[in-house]
Amino acid sequence: MKKTLLTLAILTCLCRVAFTQDFPYGQTSTDELKMSRYAKDTSAHAVVLNEYGKSEIAVANDDNIKLRFEYHVKIKIFDARGFDEATKEIELRNYTDKSEQDEVEKLTGTTYSLAENGSVTRAEFDPSKEYITRNYKEKSTLKFTMPALAPGCIIEYKYTLVRPIGLCLEHFQPWEFQSDIPKVYSKYEALIPGHFTYNAALHGFLKLTETKADVQRSCFSAAGSSSDCSDLVYGMANVPAFVEEEFMTSARNYRSSITFDLVEYTSPFNGEKFKGTTEWRNIDYNLKDAYSFGGELKKTSYFKDRMVPITAGQADDLGKAMAVYAYMQQHYKWNNYEGAYSYDGVKKAFESHSGSVADINLGLIDALNSAGINTEAVLVSTRENGFVNDLYPAVNEFNYVIAKANIGDKSYFLDATDRMLPFGMLPFECLNDKGRAFNLDKPSYWVDLNPSQKRVSTTMLDLTLAEDGKLKGTITRYSFGYEAYETRVAIKKFTTQDEYVADFGAQLPKVKILKSEITDLDSLDKPLTEKYEVEIRTGDKTGAGSYSFNPFFLSKIATNPFKLAARTYPVDMEVLSEYRTVLTVHLPAGYSVDSPPQNISEALPNKGGRFLTEFSSEGDSFTFSHIIQLTKPVFQPEEYPYLKEFYNKIILSEKAEMVFKKK
Amino acid sequence: MRKQALSILLLVTGFTAVSAQQNYEVGLIPKELLTHANSVVRDEETSIQVKDLDNAVEQVKKAVTVLNTNGDENAHIVIYYDKNDVVRNIKGVVYNEFGKQVAKFSGSDFSDVSVGDGFSLFESARVKHYLPAVTEYPYTIVYEYEVKSKQTLTFNAWSPIDNFDESVEKSSFVFSCGRDFTVRYKALNIAGKVVIGVNTDKDNTYSWQVNNVKAIKDEPLSPYYRNVIPMVQIAPQKFTYYGIDGTFTNWTTLGKWIYDKLVADRQQLPQETIDNIKEITKDIPDPKLKAKKIYEYMQHKTHYVSVQIGLGGYQPFLASDVDKQNYGDCKALVNYTQALLKSVNIDSWYCIVEAGSRYKVSMQSDFASMDQGNHIILCLPFKNDTTWADCTSQTIPFGYLGDFTDNRTVLACTADGGKLLQTPKYGPDATIKSRIADFTIGADGVLSGTMSTTFKGTYYDYRDELLNQSGTERNKILQKIYPLNNLEIGHYELKQDKSFEPCTTENIKLTARDYASFTGGKYYFSVNAINRFEETLPQDINRQNNVYISNGLTDLDDVTYAIPAGYHLEKTPLNISIDKPFGKYTATMELKGTQLTYKRKFELIDGTYGKETYQDVIDFYQDIADADDYTVSLVKN
Repeated sequence: MKKTLLTLAILTCLCRVAFTQDFPYGQTSTDELKMSRYAKDTSAHAVVLNEYGKSEIAVANDDNIKLRFEYHVKIKIFDARGFDEATKEIELRNYTDKSEQDEVEKLTGTTYSLAENGSVTRAEFDPSKEYITRNYKEKSTLKFTMPALAPGCIIEYKYTLVRPIGLCLEHFQPWEFQSDIPKVYSKYEALIPGHFTYNAALHGFLKLTETKADVQRSCFSAAGSSSDCSDLVYGMANVPAFVEEEFMTSARNYRSSITFDLVEYTSPFNGEKFKGTTEWRNIDYNLKDAYSFGGELKKTSYFKDRMVPITAGQADDLGKAMAVYAYMQQHYKWNNYEGAYSYDGVKKAFESHSGSVADINLGLIDALNSAGINTEAVLVSTRENGFVNDLYPAVNEFNYVIAKANIGDKSYFLDATDRMLPFGMLPFECLNDKGRAFNLDKPSYWVDLNPSQKRVSTTMLDLTLAEDGKLKGTITRYSFGYEAYETRVAIKKFTTQDEYVADFGAQLPKVKILKSEITDLDSLDKPLTEKYEVEIRTGDKTGAGSYSFNPFFLSKIATNPFKLAARTYPVDMEVLSEYRTVLTVHLPAGYSVDSPPQNISEALPNKGGRFLTEFSSEGDSFTFSHIIQLTKPVFQPEEYPYLKEFYNKIILSEKAEMVFKKK
Repeated sequence: MRKQALSILLLVTGFTAVSAQQNYEVGLIPKELLTHANSVVRDEETSIQVKDLDNAVEQVKKAVTVLNTNGDENAHIVIYYDKNDVVRNIKGVVYNEFGKQVAKFSGSDFSDVSVGDGFSLFESARVKHYLPAVTEYPYTIVYEYEVKSKQTLTFNAWSPIDNFDESVEKSSFVFSCGRDFTVRYKALNIAGKVVIGVNTDKDNTYSWQVNNVKAIKDEPLSPYYRNVIPMVQIAPQKFTYYGIDGTFTNWTTLGKWIYDKLVADRQQLPQETIDNIKEITKDIPDPKLKAKKIYEYMQHKTHYVSVQIGLGGYQPFLASDVDKQNYGDCKALVNYTQALLKSVNIDSWYCIVEAGSRYKVSMQSDFASMDQGNHIILCLPFKNDTTWADCTSQTIPFGYLGDFTDNRTVLACTADGGKLLQTPKYGPDATIKSRIADFTIGADGVLSGTMSTTFKGTYYDYRDELLNQSGTERNKILQKIYPLNNLEIGHYELKQDKSFEPCTTENIKLTARDYASFTGGKYYFSVNAINRFEETLPQDINRQNNVYISNGLTDLDDVTYAIPAGYHLEKTPLNISIDKPFGKYTATMELKGTQLTYKRKFELIDGTYGKETYQDVIDFYQDIADADDYTVSLVKN
């Protein structure tokens, strides 16, 4: 969420002798080795004592521009749970062309421990124990683990990753200050030649404790021309561990890190200028020009004839759009690749019934446009990918693309990669703040991706009490929006509907399901209805002809989902929700409800949500209804205690039982 | 240890090419094969041909009809291979419902990836896989491929049923080999007998075939798949493996080969280490206590890192390497511990086991083969006292196995040959969780008090996730273990007795506000908030499989609540007792003055029970869940 644009004044006329910012290798103190816990975080199993990274751009002998990333770290390991920190994985690109391959050089490592006699023993990393696995296609992983680990030891290693960057480098090597273990100090140095201009953005809640900007003279030379470099240093002291909790969006949004996006690049070989991400105008132009984006959006004619039979008989645009969407949605199997740009092209994807997000959704946009529905592409960053950057224009943070169909004065977001989504509903992954709408003729613009639908269910119970204490009748559950979506997905996972019903029944020990009926399972645009004929055991006898009963038995919340004392980042519930239950019970003649439940009304501050119960009786029947509503998708850390207490109150209220008594 | 394809879904078999164009119209499938099926194997022909000791070819041809989206995964073609193998001649066709060809595919459509298990430092196994994208159901895919292998030690078992909810119209398997290649085989759950013959190359052939096998459901509490599905296993007598020759006909000779070729010469240690071991054990006369000391030394010094390398993952790396690096996988750590023990003349055995807590899978006593087992443990054959140890944990006591490797037959590989041995069983008499709690419920609804729990048998390691955790992290884990709302830990203590009868003791002092709710003049609270049984089982009208309970255990809870004065019980107190062959449960409650006592005993008895027992188990589970959910309601006198 929090991002800061870093601007550093660069002193251009100051010449100085560059001295290394790195900490010396191979030095450790007895104090460090004797340390038994990290005072600032006693729950840590390991702590980074010092960490340094340095990235620079260099030109190899073959004129290939390469990024050199030096990494050096020293970690104190307190106990066996910290041993995982001693295994490092480095992702490598492994193209067939050797000159484009990533390589790791100069990997050295040492493990230090304190011997019984108080002397420091050293165990060196054996380079033959470096393992490279080719994962798939162009990706490899280099793995190594440090030797001679023991609780209390210190490990130190350093290596240089050399990465060919091709024509130009859109993202300069980023740096993560924060990880899942705390750090005493983390420092990053970026040496950026004058040929490149980047925007630097600091992510997360923590502040830098050190920043320096210098100039290194003639540090980069290629094709006979040389340029100075900005020597930028960013340091952060006492970085706490980042702990992931439930109900959060991507950790990337909150973890402290620094990223660089290209603004401008001048080729040292031919002086050609490449504009990076300065203005949306440029981005729009590039997108329009890109084969795998704008190019694919021009293929409407391919779909034109194919959509004619699909839209036949549809009187209005909305009908047409729904028909095209339903057809396209059932036409494809998504191959699980994301990305805003097409891999195989819309034609190949359509023919093979398979494609990436962009292959499918750019095809959907073309198909809709070919049917006369004005439809734009919307670039999205998924929740996993993190929030979009709104500090400056940047296209490379998007990793997903959806369609926006404009019909009359309304617009509908569509995604054809998921066969269970109703018209106009986005998958959870796309509910991430805002997206950038793009079409071939107009400038791009921001659109809110606020979900049009909620998670809603209404459950109606109509039960009759028999003299033997059993309740017989029906439970009818209507699900809407995301609730219906999730229920449909759950039902479809079972081979038969009977198995779903058996599974549902298993969650309710007191309930016996006699008959069931599920309607509109495949009518995605309608609410889903589940109807169960049931027999329910009431609770324990409280005397002759008297039975206790918990009216919340169907959806009782047993434990509070919010257990922490405090929270440092927002609770994100994705969408608004509303669960409503209406219970009607018909009592046999002569029975009444002893101690009927009191009406309850609990509310969250800032109109965040409410919990209401209401009891009313008429003759031999009574109705008890309750509702839990969350009317905000995101709760800030300061609202956390209220949210926790809200659930505590619900749990407390749901403990109360009513008693049916013979008069 | 070499990793097996563990789940039934990934049991990759190999098969043979051939057969002319058939009619794959979906309407031709016999009706009874459609019941509870997501897909139907129309025709499968698998063959393995041994051409030489270092040349075996497995050919697969298979036609599968997918009936609905849940069957898609059964059309996923998955071919495992490693450095010994070459996968070739992959091709396939997709047909629509009417048997008309709609698409074709070939080897270039397949992805080739490392079988990364997510935790190994290195894993040599690879997989080629492809899932055709077809959106109109039903459809049929027909494909073939072959895998040429340079080894003849292991052959993929043939199992016509690869997946749950998949039926088989026809499936056949032919194993062929030269006359001097002696083969042993074992068929499981197959009605027809083997057909032995000679083919045109004058090779011996062994064939099996199944027809019209109905779909098998994935039912909860089912026995291990090997007990249920049809399957043929094949083992050689003479073989070549990574250039090493060998012969075996039974467990004795296989165990001998493993010992001689894979383990024996890998146990040299630096003299310094040997001297050190002698030094630290010199004052301990008892060999078992000596071994305990050495095991603890090994535990303290090493940790587990999975590295599947060296002769297809079968060979441990050198003891001297572990001595230097302080890490290894199960093979390497057992081998290292053996080396350490040897330095003080304690004999120990390297044992292969099929590990896993869901099923107790034994080495098949009547069929020796290399592909059984997935883990290595250590056996110490002391006189009248066989002791076991798993060397991959830094925390468990010497002599303790736990439910991961208990109660099953394992293979000890020794200089005298292989021996089948039985690991100890824990069961409900040994696996006991026993708790005494003393609580007070205040007038404000606050629960406070102390709770002491002991864990024995396979329960011993149930609190290991809390070891080495301090402060906030520990409290977070406890919040998950104990579903008490608003739980605050005042004091926490965890003690582990690592003797030969190990026991973990947990002492907690706690408070939880709003434990009891006060409405309409009544108090309500859960009688059992700390040890609720929450497992549920779905109804299963046409149960196919027996009921299998893998681990026996006993839970004892004894809780007293001091309640505010002046209240009496509104409802009949909880009093339930259930006694079944597979389990027992009693829960009673009594209020005397302001003392409410709650006693609960839950016992699960491991074993295999008839399929008709399933409904009983459902009822048992539901009755317990219901009784555990009992709410006490107190009314003012």
